[in-house]
Amino acid sequence: MNAFTAMAWNGFREARRNKVTVVVGAFASVVLLSSTLVTDVTVNTFDRVLTDFGLGTMSLILAFLTIFLSSGLLSREIERRTIFLMVSKPVSRTQFLVARLAGNMLTLAVLVAAMTLIFLSQLLMFGAAITSTQLVAAAGLWFELLVLSSAGILFSSFSGPAVSAICTTGLYFAGHLAGDMYEIAKYSENPLVQTLGRVLYYVLPNLERMNFRPRATYALTVDAGTFLSAAAYGVAWAAIFTAIAVFIFERRDFR
Amino acid sequence: MQPVSPDAPPIQAQGLSKTYKVGFWLNRTVRALQGLDLQVGAGQIYGLLGPNGAGKSTTIKILMNLVRPSGGTARLYGQPVDHAATRRLVGFLPENPSPYDYLTGREFVTLAGHLSGLSGHDLDRRVTEVLGAVEMAGAEKLQIRRYSKGMVQRVALAQALVGRPKLLILDEPTSGLDPLGRRQMRDLILAERDKGTTVLFCSHIIPDVEALCDRLAVLVGGRRVREGSVQELVSAQVPTVEMVVENLKLDQVQQLGVPLESAQALDGRVLLQVSDTNSQRLLGGVLGAGGRVNRVQPARFSLEQLFMDALKESGRATSVGGEINT
Repeated sequence: MNAFTAMAWNGFREARRNKVTVVVGAFASVVLLSSTLVTDVTVNTFDRVLTDFGLGTMSLILAFLTIFLSSGLLSREIERRTIFLMVSKPVSRTQFLVARLAGNMLTLAVLVAAMTLIFLSQLLMFGAAITSTQLVAAAGLWFELLVLSSAGILFSSFSGPAVSAICTTGLYFAGHLAGDMYEIAKYSENPLVQTLGRVLYYVLPNLERMNFRPRATYALTVDAGTFLSAAAYGVAWAAIFTAIAVFIFERRDFR
Repeated sequence: MQPVSPDAPPIQAQGLSKTYKVGFWLNRTVRALQGLDLQVGAGQIYGLLGPNGAGKSTTIKILMNLVRPSGGTARLYGQPVDHAATRRLVGFLPENPSPYDYLTGREFVTLAGHLSGLSGHDLDRRVTEVLGAVEMAGAEKLQIRRYSKGMVQRVALAQALVGRPKLLILDEPTSGLDPLGRRQMRDLILAERDKGTTVLFCSHIIPDVEALCDRLAVLVGGRRVREGSVQELVSAQVPTVEMVVENLKLDQVQQLGVPLESAQALDGRVLLQVSDTNSQRLLGGVLGAGGRVNRVQPARFSLEQLFMDALKESGRATSVGGEINT
């Protein structure tokens, strides 16, 4: 195991031993299983409700877990001074930061996979249709979490856990609403509002591009090109956030 | 960039300075380090001695690339301190170390070993060896959050040693240890020196510095005020003599006109300290004035005295911390 893998694996181990992750994972599983109750409200859109509720639950719970895990990642290391023992080893700060992000994403990949399995088992149990778009939606969620995680790490590279969590939560909602804001601003007669809508649309990551959950709900297909371009979009935003975080982190004093 | 040269001096610093900006608007500055020159030769145990806020930890943090200097240069084995590969030769124990508390002692030292470039059976063997050396083999499977302060200090030392460093940098290594733990830590440092490892350590515990160091620098207010071997520094002190006088009052002794280093009235006696050159004059004067001298003894040369003198000379005998400018 090389230094990078060891640090990433340690990040995964930290999340696994963190009670919050375990409790949230268990809670998400219970909520997913309880979606059987929701099916009682429908007669002929059974598959749709089950998919919508299942993927929605996964998305919401994992988004908030991501905010929790990433927004204090660096600031906690600096506050507790655990970072002294890591960056004094023959590893660069960039390596350390990217490994921490990788550890976070490994944790989230395991959680997305485990929840998807529970979700699919439920569909099987109720004889509902399993479509490729449901799997694409789960994969898309992971890329959305990648953007959110890298944003959380960026904010935590220069602020405390609380400020970082507030900013990342704000980015999550703004990222999902960026497209809507752009559309609404277009209809404004005020050129300033129009410009502001346009600027926000281009400055914020559009998390809706990785959101295939509505398509999964309505059993619409997603072609490979659309998925790959969304994945590339997510990776590009994550790279931008990580690069800025690295720039700040490389210049910080750890007192 | 030149390759790492194990033959270059382990530590070289020239004109090192660090100014921190503090306050909400970052409009005040604290000068933690001011023009420090330092050279540590291979195989030495070099001590940094100074009161709190003297700049010891800042120096160490600059050397470990945790803090960037505001001025000057620092090199490890001829390489700038931000050269990551050079740190393969260095083991570092920070002050009040804080390892990941969700890991067991063994897991943490293994992680440190991976980061130092070890792997496989060699890493397993080395982890067992260092945990044994710091007497933590029995607690290696416990999570660090269950460790006492002394146990954390030991496991942190184990992570510093795991990569077989040629240079050990230890910040207050004996802090938080009981007398037995301090003794063991000192023995471990000496054992490392015997293996040829260079050690830089900082402390404000004078007996530790005295017991371990070949050379030392005394820092006060971010400046180096003394530097040399322990022997040189101690023997450079002005020898003094302590005298206890009876049958004379303090003002009567002071009227004898002999310059005194210190004078203190005790219950019916006067405790005097006088330089060796003036001791015969004082003795004659006291006896001539009808006093009785019931004890004369040379004062012990010590680092403590040297340290106090250095503080006094720099005008910072009571203050701690860096120089604050508003």
